[in-house]
Amino acid sequence: DSHIQYERVGADVTMKCGSMDWDAAVTWTANGTDIDESHLNGSYLILKNVDLSQSGQYSCYEGSSWHLKYQTSLRVGTPPKEPVLMCRSNNYPKGFYCSWHLPTPTYIPNSFNISVIHGTKDMVCEKDAVPKNRCHIRYLQLFSTVKYKVTLTVTNPLGKNFTTLTFDEFAIVKPDPPESVVAKPVPNNPRRLEVSWQNPSSWPDPDSFPLKFFLRYRPLILDQWQHVELSDGTSHTITDAYAGKEYIIQVAAKDNDIGTWSDWSVAVHATPWTEEPKHLTTEAQITETTSASTSSFMAPPTTKICDKGAVVGS
Amino acid sequence: MAAADSPSAALRRRDLCSRGIRLAGKMRADVVDLLDAYVEQQGLDASASVAAVEGVPQAAVERWDEQTGTQRLLENLAAYRAFRALLAQMLEEQREQLGEADAGLGRALAAVLLQVSAFAYHLEELLRLESRGIPGEEEEEEEDGLPPPPRLSLFEQKLRGLGVLRELAQWAVRSVRDLRQLAKPSPATGTAPGLAESP
Repeated sequence: DSHIQYERVGADVTMKCGSMDWDAAVTWTANGTDIDESHLNGSYLILKNVDLSQSGQYSCYEGSSWHLKYQTSLRVGTPPKEPVLMCRSNNYPKGFYCSWHLPTPTYIPNSFNISVIHGTKDMVCEKDAVPKNRCHIRYLQLFSTVKYKVTLTVTNPLGKNFTTLTFDEFAIVKPDPPESVVAKPVPNNPRRLEVSWQNPSSWPDPDSFPLKFFLRYRPLILDQWQHVELSDGTSHTITDAYAGKEYIIQVAAKDNDIGTWSDWSVAVHATPWTEEPKHLTTEAQITETTSASTSSFMAPPTTKICDKGAVVGS
Repeated sequence: MAAADSPSAALRRRDLCSRGIRLAGKMRADVVDLLDAYVEQQGLDASASVAAVEGVPQAAVERWDEQTGTQRLLENLAAYRAFRALLAQMLEEQREQLGEADAGLGRALAAVLLQVSAFAYHLEELLRLESRGIPGEEEEEEEDGLPPPPRLSLFEQKLRGLGVLRELAQWAVRSVRDLRQLAKPSPATGTAPGLAESP
């Protein structure tokens, strides 16, 4: 007979050759390769302190007739640790989703079961095809003070574990970041940048459930961010940008009344408008330009007339 | 049915709605602060689950998005009238138990009570705007026909107070959402729809 055998990493494993007696002459193979006699105790195969690499197909043949008497697929793995569970509403008030993962791999198949209870009511968590470790729950009620209790149980042939989350409806509301963030210089304004963005497409009803936004920006040459909070609208003009410096800009969103801030949006870069440099062409134009500009040049107020380098306007 | 919606009535409603949204937003912030102070001073566990307390209007609602404007306003009004009575009772109990020992909590309670009363009046104004009959307070009491609540133990009073403030905080958010719905221009006319129709 052939079947799957699960064993924990580090376990000692004994395999019998089907119904063969202990003292029968047999041959054992692992993935088709003969196993050394040192691993045998009579016709039993003994594997000490197994590790992951010893997973494989083990077969036992009767004496010299090569008649297959026993076959098993050994799977070495671990029981599941407490799963990491996260629930979040990024499309409030439609519903929320829960997603989970195991902190460490088990190397053998696991099955997950999730239960969502609201007060005394069992709620359905509709599994997503992809990603597999995620499911959705529709809000049947809004504005409830009753907490939600979500329990995720993970089971595999070597063990079982679970995690429970209890939360309020409002606490898990966290929009996705704003989308289509665009930053542009403002012509003839060396200290301005115009930033615009859109509500996250996953947020279903911005009219009834408006989002507010948080904008952060800084010149690449500095580490310190500047922040501004905006309670309506999806654009803002930065008016205190350093002239000529490239800026990095990001936006975050939050429901106007409840929940937490989204992650920061994708960063965009922009540099404020700068005056086009005047191009020097032929000699004549230079002379002409120089005489024209000298007559209009005024010494900056801080320069003293008697300064060596000072150029006196005529 | 609500009076056909003249532009001036629509503008007036929008104005009342936006003022109501600000009032509810402020009220919510104050209630959340009061809730924190109440939990601490009454020695309660902030995460304790409080079963639905009889007589405390539940903010939880199903198919909220399908409600008409009139339903929203009438349910809001009934709730804030109930909270007015509940907060007044809490204030009374507070004074009995603690006297002046805890004037801070009493003042905060009184301030929220004032806001709840103002908000109830604001809702009545909105209903009047729609020449919609405003249910008299006596009518509601008759409808309830409930016998006066039994005398609660001190701990039960505290738990009920927690339940009242929690529900009120939820109601304040719901009211903001309801008023936003009412203020929304209807796709066809571009003006806020009459209450009976507005989803």
